[in-house]
Amino acid sequence: MSDFATTIPVSLLLLAPLIAGGLSMVLTGSRWLHVTNLISIGTLIAAESMIARSVFAQGSVTALGEIIYIDALSSVILFIIGTVGLACSLYMRSYMDEQIACGVIASKRLNLFFFLFHMFLLAMVVATVANSLGVQWVAIEATTLATTFLIAFWRRRESLEAGWKYLILCSVGISLALFGVVLLYYSSLRVLGDVSSALNITELQQVADQLDAHILKLAFVFLFVGYGTKVGLVPMHSWLPDAYTEAPAPVAAMLAGVLETVAVYAILRCRGIVDQAVPPDFTGGLLAGFGLVSFVLAAFFILLQHNYKRLFAYSSIEHMGLAMVGFGVGGPIGNFGGLFHLVNHAFAKSLAFFAAGNIHRRFKTVEIDEVRGLTTVLPWSALALLIAGLALAALPPFALFSSEMQIVTALGSSGPPGAWTNQGARFLVVILLLGSLIAFAGLLYRITGMAWGIAPKDIVPGEQWSVGHVPIILLGAVLVGFCWALPPPLRQLFEAASTLLAKR
Amino acid sequence: MITPPIGSQLVDLGSALLLLTCFGIVAQRRLSACVDLFALQSVFLALTATLVAFLTGIHHIYIAAALTVLIKAIVIPRILKKVIERLNVKRELVMNINVPASLLICGALVMVAFLITQPIIPFGHLLTRDSLAIALAIVLIGFFTMIARQKAVTQMIAFLVMENGLFLGATAATYGMPLIVELGVFFDVLVAALIAGIYTNRLQDAFDSVDTAHLSELKE
Repeated sequence: MSDFATTIPVSLLLLAPLIAGGLSMVLTGSRWLHVTNLISIGTLIAAESMIARSVFAQGSVTALGEIIYIDALSSVILFIIGTVGLACSLYMRSYMDEQIACGVIASKRLNLFFFLFHMFLLAMVVATVANSLGVQWVAIEATTLATTFLIAFWRRRESLEAGWKYLILCSVGISLALFGVVLLYYSSLRVLGDVSSALNITELQQVADQLDAHILKLAFVFLFVGYGTKVGLVPMHSWLPDAYTEAPAPVAAMLAGVLETVAVYAILRCRGIVDQAVPPDFTGGLLAGFGLVSFVLAAFFILLQHNYKRLFAYSSIEHMGLAMVGFGVGGPIGNFGGLFHLVNHAFAKSLAFFAAGNIHRRFKTVEIDEVRGLTTVLPWSALALLIAGLALAALPPFALFSSEMQIVTALGSSGPPGAWTNQGARFLVVILLLGSLIAFAGLLYRITGMAWGIAPKDIVPGEQWSVGHVPIILLGAVLVGFCWALPPPLRQLFEAASTLLAKR
Repeated sequence: MITPPIGSQLVDLGSALLLLTCFGIVAQRRLSACVDLFALQSVFLALTATLVAFLTGIHHIYIAAALTVLIKAIVIPRILKKVIERLNVKRELVMNINVPASLLICGALVMVAFLITQPIIPFGHLLTRDSLAIALAIVLIGFFTMIARQKAVTQMIAFLVMENGLFLGATAATYGMPLIVELGVFFDVLVAALIAGIYTNRLQDAFDSVDTAHLSELKE
C-alpha cells in the first residue's frame, strides 16, 4: 500500500542528501556548507521518525510504486544512519574548519568533501530502503566508490595506499555478492516468472518457501562472503585497519558506525529469505562461525596494537563478530542482542574516533606510546576516550555490556546453531568470555596509558570548547543511559525488528 | 530461423570465446595487449547478449548489449590506455605466479566452477543455462588474476573481467537482471574505472610506480 502519508517522508529521505550533495558543489564558504549539511541531516532524521511511526502503525510500508520497502529492521538501520550522521556533522564543524585553518586542506576541497559525504549518506539510505536486492547491491557498491576518496582525503602516501586497498578489496568482494544476487534471481524466476519484480523483497518473501534450497545455499554463501568483506569479517578484513587509520576522523566514524551496519543489514535481509527454504542452521552456522573467529582473532590483534586508530579498527572487527554471533544463534534474545549491539557499537565507535581525531590533531601522532597525560592536555577528549574505551571493553555501566551479555546468554541457553551438544555451547561461551577478557585487557591497558602520565613538553595543554564537543557529550550520555533504560519507542522498534528476524 | 538447440549452442560458443580471452589475459605480459583482450572480451559479451536478446525477444538485453560495447569496449579501454601511456609501463614485470602455473590454475578453476554449478544447472529452463558454469569460471579467473598480478592496471582489468563474468552469469541464468539493476551496475563499473584511473595517477605521483608491491608502508 503506497499512500500519501508515507510517500512524502520517503521522498524527503532520498532528496535531502541528493539536494545537499548538489548544493555542496556550488556553495562557497565553509559556513554555508555546514549549514546545508545540518539541514539535510535534520530533514533525514525528521523523515525517519515519520516513517518509523507509519511502520509502527502498519508493520511495513512500501512507497513510490513498490520501489521502497521499509519495515522495523530497516527503521533501526535508518535510526543509526541518522543519529551517527548527525553526530559526525556536528563534529565536522570544528574538525574541518581547523584543518582548513592549518592549511592541511584547501578550502576549495571542502566542497568535494561534503559532496562525497552526502553521496555516501545517500547510497547508505538507498541500500537500506531499497525493495529490490539488486538495487541494494548497486547502492552498497556506490558506498565503496563514494568513500574511496574520503579515505584518501589527506592524499598522503599511506592514505593513497589504504584507499587503493579498500577500493580493490571491497569491489572484488562485492562482485561475489552480485553473483549471489544473480543466483537468487535465478531461483526466484522459476517461481515468479515475472522479470522486473523478481528481486523485490516483497515478492521474494511471499514465495521464499518454494525457492530451491540448493541454489539458495549457494547464493547465500556468495552474498555472505561479498557483504562480509564490507563488514570486515576475518579473513576478509585486511582493508579495514588501514582504511580506518588513514580516513579523517568523521569519515572513520561513519565507516565504523554506519557502513558496517548497513552491510550487516544486507546480509540479514538475504538471510530472511534464504532461511524460509533452507533449515536456519545453515545460515546461522555461517554467521556464528565467522563471527566467532572474527571476534577471537580481533581480540588478539587488539593486544598487539601500537596505534590507537588501529586499536579501534580491530575493536570494530571484534564487535561486528560478536553481533554476528548474536544473529547466528538467533532466537528473540540473540537477535535483540545483535541489533542492540550494532546500535551501541555505532555510538561507541563514533565517540572513539572523535576522541582519536582530537588527540591526533594535538599530538600529531597515532603512536600510543607517544601520547601521555591526556587528562591534563585535553580533559574533554580524555573523558571521551575513556568512556569510549570502557564502553568498547564492555564494562558494566555501559550499554555494550548489556548487549554483550544478551548475546552470551543467547549462546549459552539456546546453544550454537547446528547439531552441537550442550557441551559445545558451554565451550563456546567460555571462548567468547575469554575473548572479551583479552579485548578488555588490551583496550584498558592502552587507553589508561594514554590518559594518565606526564604530557610531553612540546604539547600545548588546554582544550577550547567547540561545537565538536556536543556530540561527544551526547554520545557518552547515551552510552551510559542505554544500559539502564531504553526509551520505549526505541525498545518497541528493536523488539519489532528482532521479531522479524526470528520469523522463520 | 535459428532453432533453439542451435541457438543454445551459439550462446555456448560465445561464452567459450569469453573464457578463451580470459586465458589470453592471464597469459599476456604486455599491458596494452591485456587491455585489447579485455575490449575483445567485451565485444564477445555484447555479441552473446545480442544473440540472447534475438533468440528470446527480450528487448532490454539489447540496451545492455549496446551499453557493454559503449562502456566496456570503447570508453574503459581508452581510459586504461591513457593510464598506461602516462605511466610509461609497458609490461607486467612482477608476477606472483608465473604464466604456465597461472594457466594451469585457471584450468583448475574452470573445473571447480563446473563442479559447483553442475547440481543447480538442471533447475534452469533457459536455453542459455549451460553458460552459468562458464560465467562462474570467468569470475573465479578474474579473482585469481587480482591476486596473481601486481600492477594496478592489471588489477583493474581483473576486476572488469569479473564484472564481465557476472554480466554473462546474469544473462545466462536469467536473461538479464531487471533493467534498473543492469543500469546501476554499469554506472558503478564506469565510476569504478574512472576512480581507478585517477587513483593510478596519484599512486604514480606518490610512489613513482604502480607496482602495488611498493604499497607496503602500512604494516601490522
